[in-house]
Amino acid sequence: MFNETILIEYLPILIFIVLALGISGAAVIGSLLVAKQKPDPDKNAAYECGFDAFSDTRGKFDVRFYLVTLLFIIFDLEIAFLFPWAISLKDIGMFGFWSMMAFLGVLTVGFIYEWKKGALDWE
Amino acid sequence: MSIDREIEMFLAFAWMLGHIIVLIVGVLLGVAYLTYAERKVLGAMQRRQGPMTVGPWGLLQPIADGVKLFSKETIIPSQANKIVFLLAPVILFALALVAWAVIPVDKDWVLANINVGILYLFAISSLGVYGIIMAGWASNSRYAFLGGLRSASQMVSYEVSMGLIIVCVILCTGSLNLQEIVLAPRPIWMQIWLFPMFIVFLISILAECNRAPFDLPEGESEITGGFMVEYSAMTFALFFLGEYANMILMSAMATTLFLGGWLPPFGMWFLDFVPGIVWFGLKTCAILFFFLWARATLPRFRYDQLMRLGWKIFLPLTLLWVVGTAGLLLAFDALP
Amino acid sequence: MILAAVFYLFAFILLLSGFLVITARNPVHSVLFLILAFFNAAGLFVLLGAEFIAMILVIVYVGAVAVLFLFVVMMLDIDFAHLRKGAMQYVPLGLLVGVILLTELVISVSAWQFNSLSQQNLAVPEIGLNAATNTQALGAVLYTQYVYAFQLAGLILLVAMIGAIVLTHRVRPGVRKQSIESQNARRPEEAMEILKVQSGAGIS
Repeated sequence: MFNETILIEYLPILIFIVLALGISGAAVIGSLLVAKQKPDPDKNAAYECGFDAFSDTRGKFDVRFYLVTLLFIIFDLEIAFLFPWAISLKDIGMFGFWSMMAFLGVLTVGFIYEWKKGALDWE
Repeated sequence: MSIDREIEMFLAFAWMLGHIIVLIVGVLLGVAYLTYAERKVLGAMQRRQGPMTVGPWGLLQPIADGVKLFSKETIIPSQANKIVFLLAPVILFALALVAWAVIPVDKDWVLANINVGILYLFAISSLGVYGIIMAGWASNSRYAFLGGLRSASQMVSYEVSMGLIIVCVILCTGSLNLQEIVLAPRPIWMQIWLFPMFIVFLISILAECNRAPFDLPEGESEITGGFMVEYSAMTFALFFLGEYANMILMSAMATTLFLGGWLPPFGMWFLDFVPGIVWFGLKTCAILFFFLWARATLPRFRYDQLMRLGWKIFLPLTLLWVVGTAGLLLAFDALP
Repeated sequence: MILAAVFYLFAFILLLSGFLVITARNPVHSVLFLILAFFNAAGLFVLLGAEFIAMILVIVYVGAVAVLFLFVVMMLDIDFAHLRKGAMQYVPLGLLVGVILLTELVISVSAWQFNSLSQQNLAVPEIGLNAATNTQALGAVLYTQYVYAFQLAGLILLVAMIGAIVLTHRVRPGVRKQSIESQNARRPEEAMEILKVQSGAGIS
């Protein structure tokens, strides 16, 4: 059921992840324990220009930030499609090449559209 | 299971643990002395001396800084979401460490020689945003929030061009395994063809690490330190270390992809007696020097200029280069 | 042994975090648990030997999709506790829909006839693919044998891209943008004038 030859390479990664999280977690907790903690309402207030914050921070913000993430998802998927293509191009030859060109062509249409619409502009 | 096999397994396990610890200690030392090198290089470029007091030539300065930050009080804002607030720096720093598992530092020296090494690196670097968004949100402060938002959008934008550049490189090497990428033959024309991508990659990693001239998320002059504004003591130190660890990581990635990793430069086979790790270190340091140099010389970008560069120049350029690389390799039947 | 233990570990955390996604009070915590669930799913894919899928899961879902979720959830200033108050009245309707969906699923799955070819494929998962790695195996068929599905994926992405722009892009009137072309086209001759000024005379 399990493919052992591949998995033996991944075991160090798993251990590494656990160790790395452990070390950085220990650093924060160690510092919390070792250093003297003297909390104070003024010290713990959110940083503002000398007066109390007017309202909660989490509010509306420019919709453009959403748009950037949305476009990023699409291009990220495009890149995900490019990876297997890049390493098997020798086997799939001309047809594979043109198949990808058609795919990229469709997405380029979308890219030109967003460019013309000004979705990539910031002011 | 026989005793012999058990001992063998135990030894293999101990060797692996030792390997991981060597890597972690190496990265930590590298980070500590990168901060020192940064202050020295910036000092030299501004005709100052940099740190000189702690230890000979100030060599113990990073350690003193570390001890100081460790023994400070951790301020947790009362408005903050405590768990996420403390988790953010931990995640950011752990990610910068974990990526080192797949980087080949010498001929037979790579902790996890997985088939999809470059994808693993790309995945880990795309997770870096989380530490920053979480910090920006959990602090519940305007500056942190704005800084986190900006930083996340910026990193995400430059990741697209980084991904496309990686595709260019793997077209030329025909493998996703980092060791094979290092060893793949690279004729001169291929190096010349990939050179512009190397430049674009260098600029993209500057943006990806939020370094000058793309250090808007910090933007001391407008948002007073960005997502890090509420952090203090060790939590701040972890952000700081994470930023520098990421710089070293990205330099190592550029070395592996473009500069031939641990191989001697320019195919000078008579230099083979020098251990590969020395070449790897030297090449990485050269790119790190570029990071510091850029910080000392270039003014900060404006946010609209940054986005324009990422989406309107790098994205079309790298996409075109992917198509061009594939077309060239097919036309000359030079696919690996 | 170790593999089985790792499998159960991943599976357990996956189910636990999936459960916490829907029960966490704070929506941001929900998304963070969702990310944890994605990670464990990637771990399970690695256990199956599907390295490429595992990495793509992390790159696309954790690195991109969950970032968007987090953006949306974090920045929305919605009082979720308030929303929940009214939610109880919809429980009967929700249960009804759930039961109908479940029966439909059970009926269709139990009546499902697998194509003989796919049964063959199930028995030998790597049929006809003697590539070195599973990324290559995927690449060998995705762009040729499954070219229509691949092109459809491209069209879906196009629709998503246009949809994203139509839904979120607003042109704000009265904003002055930087025009790089006109800046670069400006020559010193038209932009400035050099005058010889007599000392003390000033310019009119």
